[in-house]
Amino acid sequence: MTNLLAWIAAWLSAGASLVGRYLLAPVAVLPGWLSATAIGAVTGVLLLAVFKHTSNQPAIHCVRNDIDAHLLALKLFRDSAAVALRAQARVIAGAARLLLLAVVPMLVMAIPVTLVLAQMSLWYEARPLRIGEESVVTLALAGDASAPWPSVSLRPTDAVEVEAGPVRVRNRREVCWNLRAREPGSHRLEFQVGDQAVAKELAIGDGFMRVSLERPGWDWSSILLSPWESPFRPGDPVRSIAVAYPQRSSRIYGSGAWVIYWFVVSFVVALIFRRALNVKI
Amino acid sequence: MTDSPPSLINRRTILKGTAAVAAGAAAIAAGNYWLGAGRNPSRAAGKKVIVIGIDGMDPRLSERMMAEGLLPNLAKLRSGGGFRPLGTSTPPQSPVAWASFINGAGPGDHGIFDFIHRHPEKQCEPFYSAAETIPGEGHWDVAGRRLQLDFWPFRHQLPRTELKRQGVPFWDYLDAAGVPSTFYDLPSNYPASPSHHGHHRCLCGMGTPDMLGTYGTYQLFAEDGPADPVDEAGGKRTRLAFDNDTARARIAGPGDAFSPTAKETSVEFQVHRDREANAAVIDVLGHRIILKAGQWSRWTPLVFEQSLPMQGLRGICRFYLQEVAPRFRLYVSPINIDPSAPAPSISEPDSFARGIASRLGPFATTGFQEDYKARTNGVFNDDEYARQAGMVLDERLALLERAIEDYEDGLLFFYFSSSDLQSHMFWWDSDDRHPIRSAPEAKKYNEHVRRLYRRLDGVVGQLIDRYGSRATLIVMSDHGFANFGRQFNVNTWLRGWGYLGPPECTSILKDVDWSQTSAYGLGINGLYLNMKGRERDGIVEPGDQREALLAEIVERLQAVTDEDGRPVIRGAYRSDRIYKGDATALAPDLVIGYHRGFRASWATTLGELTEQFLTDNDQAWSADHCADALEVPGVLFSNQPIRSEKPTLVDLAPSILAQFGLDTPSRMVGRDVF
Repeated sequence: MTNLLAWIAAWLSAGASLVGRYLLAPVAVLPGWLSATAIGAVTGVLLLAVFKHTSNQPAIHCVRNDIDAHLLALKLFRDSAAVALRAQARVIAGAARLLLLAVVPMLVMAIPVTLVLAQMSLWYEARPLRIGEESVVTLALAGDASAPWPSVSLRPTDAVEVEAGPVRVRNRREVCWNLRAREPGSHRLEFQVGDQAVAKELAIGDGFMRVSLERPGWDWSSILLSPWESPFRPGDPVRSIAVAYPQRSSRIYGSGAWVIYWFVVSFVVALIFRRALNVKI
Repeated sequence: MTDSPPSLINRRTILKGTAAVAAGAAAIAAGNYWLGAGRNPSRAAGKKVIVIGIDGMDPRLSERMMAEGLLPNLAKLRSGGGFRPLGTSTPPQSPVAWASFINGAGPGDHGIFDFIHRHPEKQCEPFYSAAETIPGEGHWDVAGRRLQLDFWPFRHQLPRTELKRQGVPFWDYLDAAGVPSTFYDLPSNYPASPSHHGHHRCLCGMGTPDMLGTYGTYQLFAEDGPADPVDEAGGKRTRLAFDNDTARARIAGPGDAFSPTAKETSVEFQVHRDREANAAVIDVLGHRIILKAGQWSRWTPLVFEQSLPMQGLRGICRFYLQEVAPRFRLYVSPINIDPSAPAPSISEPDSFARGIASRLGPFATTGFQEDYKARTNGVFNDDEYARQAGMVLDERLALLERAIEDYEDGLLFFYFSSSDLQSHMFWWDSDDRHPIRSAPEAKKYNEHVRRLYRRLDGVVGQLIDRYGSRATLIVMSDHGFANFGRQFNVNTWLRGWGYLGPPECTSILKDVDWSQTSAYGLGINGLYLNMKGRERDGIVEPGDQREALLAEIVERLQAVTDEDGRPVIRGAYRSDRIYKGDATALAPDLVIGYHRGFRASWATTLGELTEQFLTDNDQAWSADHCADALEVPGVLFSNQPIRSEKPTLVDLAPSILAQFGLDTPSRMVGRDVF
């Protein structure tokens, strides 16, 4: 089952990355606030449309009318405690029904939203290394703690200088390096693990670049959250390779903040467009 | 009767108009605030005064090195403007001296007489003279949490730290005149005194505590550490136990403000060693750090969680991997207050430190940035200490660069601690036997001090090149330096003459009999009489008895000689004769001024007694300045001609004010030196 889920996650992520490669390419040249706002606005409208077609609009319309009626009753019969209490109870029940009616569209939207957010995280969750900046790269070996250690090395490259490493974390079967960025660009770090070669992308530069924090292992959640690089398969000698990139600092498109900003923008845009698209939410 | 014509301006129009004007004004004000970063316009009219405070720079060494051609930039200042030895404060201790610089007046005005003061009403309970933490009052117990609410109707008193420096700092006069002033690492100003007009900014220096509320507590985690964690003066030692080359430990943090017992908070970390690579990996709060043996980490953020969520206190520390094998030793620097989220505030305004951190990244914020306790406790060797102190200087030079980029006009003050805290360890300018080093070693490390002077001379050169005559440049120090080979225990000496009893007494804080004690020493230069009506258990009557006792002690102190006949004490000064002002309540009765080579003993500072009153100093801290003020003057260089023949520290504040056209305030005792 977990294998199947991992396969599904890998296919979905590969598809999303293919689309994201082109659709999100302008992020590299636009100001951060503009690209984050544009993505939030477009996805807000798209998600509104998805909501319209996957939700029971007549039922939502009916429940909203019901809630309006009971709110009116609350105003008109404020002197009658029994009526007011009954109306309040029905308003609450109506709100609960609205939530129930939103479950199906939410379920439908969950996966696309996850894919969109995972693609956005490649741009906003971290920033590339700057020239001269140091970062830790961690390669996690497959196998349990008692398995023999293969020889592990990082092939020399002009892109980075190895400040320290390889250093082994025995009880986690991890090997770490401390690297200093030297040349700007999107690079590949190539590792030799036993007789097999594996690679991991590395982004060095200023501004916006697609930054893949981790090349994941064969685990569906890791694959969904780290969609850019192909995951390691169960038979591979490596579980994952991660690069500790610096956080991006901005209240709009910085690490962590961009998700909140995206949510707010898409929600506001959806509210604005709900009449134009005739959507009851 | 006819209806009056409808008015063009009705009430609604007025309301709309008023609202629009108010909104517009608010928008303009908000825009100004954001664009101008809330700063008021300068009235310095382009006038620039830059003061570089080099703590402990010595005039004798400076003159020697200038004569050798090793300080060309300071020599340039001397020839183009002036150079004088700068009279220091009595006693010549940094908190006293810097407070005198700040007020333009002596200890009688600012009320700081020593590193350590005592509460006479509690007989002699010591406290740090420049600031005192006052515990809070009142709280509300909620679900096992201790809440202090300082608003109505609770009005609990929160714990707070009070700046003990009294009087008026000279920047208040600049502030009132609209002249901007910016101070970096200013000593004797923690917590920062407020700016009343918004033209003053200050990053606190000496006196700023670390996250543990101390003046720098390192933590050493070692395989050969004590089985139970041990606190030593300025440090903690903890044993690390490895399992499969991984060990877990906790970095001790501040007390939990919401816990009824103020239990200590901590941060867990794991360390994984790789003996083959002679390196280790440290995992702490989601950060992974790789260090080779002998390598320092960058500043690492730590969050110490409190019992209430979202109330975590943020600090920063650096890791130093001393040794991987055979004995694993990991040093954690004192946990500094994180300047990007300072709690408590370490600057005026509060946003000043945050602004620096946003541009420079994390930087050391404790008052003593050089980890001298690690050296005096033997955790560092000389080279390790020199390296750590060098890193502090590098960081401060980067801060200076930022400070200059940010500087337009007004006063810029920048402080260097390196010359002081490195001289304490490495200075030795004679052929006398060094406390812990062989003669060649003493010479080698004294050469380190000379290299440091050359480096600071380079900083002065950059400022000269950058500003030339467009700025008044002042390079000054609060005091000079002297060897510290022999130490004098005041209380042991007092006991020997029968001023302090009983004869078997070992500490004035533990087993002294106050009914047999007429005088005691506390702090570095202070000697107090046990006065009736002032000290809780005082026995000395004011008036004739006091006068006779003071005269007798002064005479006997000035007659003290070492085994080789050298005089120990140059002068013992009556505070009622040397201090003027309204802040003398905590002054000692006598201030002891030592000859070069001597100082109060380590035991004296906290009232302990030793068998002999004169002993060798056996510490790495082998040079000092807490001598007689006449023995250790500071330096004054400027690109402006110095008119005064014998300038002193208190003259600098009036001189700076005069540069901006301001008269010397009446409470200052100093005079313009230019």
